[in-house]
Parts: sequence; C-alpha cells; structure tokens
Amino acid sequence: MSNHNTPVDIHDEVNYDPIVWVPKAHSHGTKGLWKTFWILLVLTIADVALYFTIDPGYFRNGIFIFLGIVKAAFIVYSFMHLTFEHKALKKSIVLPMLFVIYLIVLMLDEARYWLDLNW
Amino acid sequence: MSNHAVSTTSTWAGGKSPFKVSYGKLMMWFFLLSDAFTFSSLLVGYATVRFSFPQADETQMEQLRTEMPFGTDVHEMFHANPDGFVGEMVDRGIFAETQWPAPELVFNHFPGHHLHWPLMFVSLMTFILIMSSVTMVLAVEAGQRMERKKVEIYMLLTIVGGLMFLGCQAWEWTMFIGEGAKLYSNPFGPVTFAALFFLVTGFHGFHVLSGVVINFIIYLNVLRGTYEERGHYEMVEKVGLYWHFVDLVWVFVFTFFYLI
Repeated sequence: MSNHNTPVDIHDEVNYDPIVWVPKAHSHGTKGLWKTFWILLVLTIADVALYFTIDPGYFRNGIFIFLGIVKAAFIVYSFMHLTFEHKALKKSIVLPMLFVIYLIVLMLDEARYWLDLNW
Repeated sequence: MSNHAVSTTSTWAGGKSPFKVSYGKLMMWFFLLSDAFTFSSLLVGYATVRFSFPQADETQMEQLRTEMPFGTDVHEMFHANPDGFVGEMVDRGIFAETQWPAPELVFNHFPGHHLHWPLMFVSLMTFILIMSSVTMVLAVEAGQRMERKKVEIYMLLTIVGGLMFLGCQAWEWTMFIGEGAKLYSNPFGPVTFAALFFLVTGFHGFHVLSGVVINFIIYLNVLRGTYEERGHYEMVEKVGLYWHFVDLVWVFVFTFFYLI
C-alpha cells in the first residue's frame, strides 16, 4: 500500500506487504464439512448412549476423554481447515497441545492420591 | 505505509511468510492456542477435584434407576418430601458433601415438563452448537468463493444458533440456581462442584457471547460489502476460527461436566 493511487497486490508473494498480504482463498467444497458434522453428531450420541450402558469408572471416563479428543481433532482439522495449512503451522498448533495430555495424566494420578488420602 | 513493504525475498529478512498465512490469521491461531491452555487448566482442575471425591454407591444408583426410569415425573414421585426430589436424594445420602453427584441426577431437566430426562437438554445444547459450527464453516466456504449472499445467510444462521445456545444456558443456570446451587453452596454435593460449574460454563458462555457479538459485527460488514470491496472474506474465516474453537471447548465441557 505505497499510496492510494497505486494499490499493492494483496496476493503478491514476491514483493509482499506483511500487513495486508493474504494468500488466495480457494474452497475445498462442502462434502468433507458435512461428513465432519455427521461424525460429531454420531460420536455425541455415542457418548450419551455409553453413559447409560457402561458402569461408571476409569474405563468409561477414558472412553469419554478419548472420544472428546477425536471430536476435537475433527473440528480442528476439518472445520478450522488445519489440514490445508502449511506443515509448520500445523506443528506449531498441535504439538503444544500434547502438554495438555500430559497434564491430564499427571493430575488424574494426583487426584487418585488425594482420594486415597481423604476417604 | 510504504515502510511496511519488504523488498528483499530472503527468508530471514522477512521476505517470506513462513506459515503461508496472513498476519491476522496467524495471530488468531496463536490466541486460540493460549485460550486452549486456559480452558485446559480449568477443565483438568475440575477433573482433578472431581476424581479426588468418591462417587455415589453404584448399587444404590442401580436401585434408583429402576425406581425412576427415563420419563418419570419426579415432582409427582417425591411430593411427600417438602424439599422434593433434591431433598429426597439428600435424605437417602445420594447427594452428600462427601461424594460427587452423578450428572444424570443433576442435569435431568427439560423445558416444559418435570419429567426425569437425564442429559437430554445438554445433548440438545451440544447439537445446537455443532449446527451453528456447520453454518459458520459454510459461511467461510461461501466467502472463499466470494458468494456474498450465501455468506450473509449462513452468518445470520450462526448468530441465531449462538443466541439459542445462550438462551439454553440461561435456562439451565436458572434451574440450577433455583434448586439452591450457588458459587458458595450446593445441595447436590461438594460446594466445589457448583462453584466450578458456574466458573467454567460461565467462562465458556462468555466466550459464546463475545463470539455472537463479533459474528454480528462481521455480519454487518458483510452486509455493507466491506469484504467484497477488500477482495477477500478472510475476516469471516478468522471469526470462524474463534467460533469453532468455542464449539471445541464445549466438547470438553460436555465431556467433563455432564458425562464424567
């Protein structure tokens, strides 16, 4: 955007202006998006069904957390288009989240210790 | 503004976009990553407190399930108790400060009747939020094809979905508060249960509210033709990222508060 008379090409990859530069958008169709919708719907119904069919405990909770992570992956990769992003961006977003899985394991072990301690 | 333009093409001189995305979208991703850590801490904190309490006795719960199956009128069934259903559960020792309540006994209301419909209302809320995520992503997709009319329709549907979700949450909070659950008191069991419920669903609900407001602003810009003029609908895509993130968080709020 050197001045108002000669607007810069916002898609120019060679001489680009980092403030206004935008890669050219192109659609990947709606078929995959609807597939993700059905997967999310089925997994949510499965969640409720499992709640009423399996006895409460670590096994059932493990299934719920696993299905939650699967649903989250579908939202991030399909709805948020992470599949179509550059691999460096994918890694920057997904790898830090592995710390959270470690946090879950760590804190659940801690909770079991509190349980033994208190009751 | 000419000082922004980078003439060199060398990578380390800033001549390339390493992530091949615009500045704004990259910052939205990094914001969402940080927000994901905030929500992770809240939810894992909840799970830790929840697992440090024993749950209700399973044989007692089995007996209760045969006594009041799906669709039982709990007001009718426990009308002898002055405190109704909650009072009866407290008397039987199912709701106690020393054990975590089973979600099916806490989240069993549905608008319009007093029947025992465990987890049905929250399933409806989940469905509404998933649906609004779908309309949002369809708006993004229409934006990529520069179809302004479709972007308008889908953005509006997304806003309606968000408002419906907020309405559901307001109703659920009203029911919960009406039964005596506060930040500092909880008839269903440990006080931390109610406190963390209001904290986490409130924090998520505030995200939904701000999402609706931001969606509305972007919707007005779409109506005014701002993005048509700009040549791309990336703003819709960025607000879409935020909206999907709110849906993603709800997946885990649903898992931890209503299922586990």
